[in-house]
Amino acid sequence: MHRLSATRMILDNAGDLPIVSNLGPTSDELWHLAPDRDRNFYGYGSMGLCSSMALGMALSTDEKVVSLDGDGSLLMNMGTLATIGREQPRNLIVIVWDNEMWGQTGAQPTHTAFGTSLEQVGRGCNISKTATVDDEESLATVFRQALSEDGPWLIVAKIEEEEYLPTAPVEPEMTLYNFRKTFVD
Amino acid sequence: MNWAETIVQALKDDEVSLIAFVPDISIHQVTQLLEEDDYFHVVAATREEEAIGIASGAYATGRKAAVFMQSSGFGNCINAIASLCIPYRIPLPMFINLRGEVDEFNLAQVAMGRTTRPILDVLGIPHYTYESDDRLHRRISGALKLCYASRQPLALCMTPLLHGGKMA
Repeated sequence: MHRLSATRMILDNAGDLPIVSNLGPTSDELWHLAPDRDRNFYGYGSMGLCSSMALGMALSTDEKVVSLDGDGSLLMNMGTLATIGREQPRNLIVIVWDNEMWGQTGAQPTHTAFGTSLEQVGRGCNISKTATVDDEESLATVFRQALSEDGPWLIVAKIEEEEYLPTAPVEPEMTLYNFRKTFVD
Repeated sequence: MNWAETIVQALKDDEVSLIAFVPDISIHQVTQLLEEDDYFHVVAATREEEAIGIASGAYATGRKAAVFMQSSGFGNCINAIASLCIPYRIPLPMFINLRGEVDEFNLAQVAMGRTTRPILDVLGIPHYTYESDDRLHRRISGALKLCYASRQPLALCMTPLLHGGKMA
């Protein structure tokens, strides 16, 4: 499964729901697929905080919130899975693009290449709606289920890297402004 | 109102309703009051940078949020502030208990406690230090107003002279 195509599928199913994306190619691809979508919150720095931000969003809106996280980033802040398990936000869907490497820093293998199962970490943190999928069709099935059933959800999507798209010309200030104005009058 | 009740009231007056924190015994008085009050959703984080992420996410969806931590925890979350709150211009009030001040008994708390405000200075983050309850509501609510008007993180530093400190 490739992240770009899978992200297109997520966008096709997510309607207007807020999506927060991990820094790097996850945000670049989301921007290239839907540059005018105000409900994309593109991560730019703050590695590891994608799903923490999504948790803060889920606790502040009744809408479903989708986090597009990464294995290297989530490994940096695994405690946030424990906080999600403690808070039990019914409207949070965390998808982890797991390429088993730190793709941006030289493709060094991450811990998921050596046996760490982020799904099992999530289950151990009291997140009961979980899945690990390695093809787009399975991801689409579980994502549609996550959209219709209460969570929190943790979906680990095993992906293979392809050539990166150009860096998205994202201005963090504008990201926040455009995203936030869809929630406030 | 005592100092802790005053902080709670100032947060309410400014409609700050989500609190992310990592526990600290000296500011337990405030976080306990916040947890007992249905107005607030209080989230215990595993680490301070996580608290910064949670509070920033809340603000992005239109809800004002603050964080509570001690100065050692500020050390844990400097990059979260520098790479999230600053570039995105997220106004985030950070209540920080300053360790390494008078009455400190723990050697390991001194260096981070005493470098917290200089680090805030070089990051360009405004900060105020509260050492007594003199005009406390006025001084807290004024800082909150500045924080949201400037759309920048801002630190409200508390010392044992305000809250009584931690007994060894």
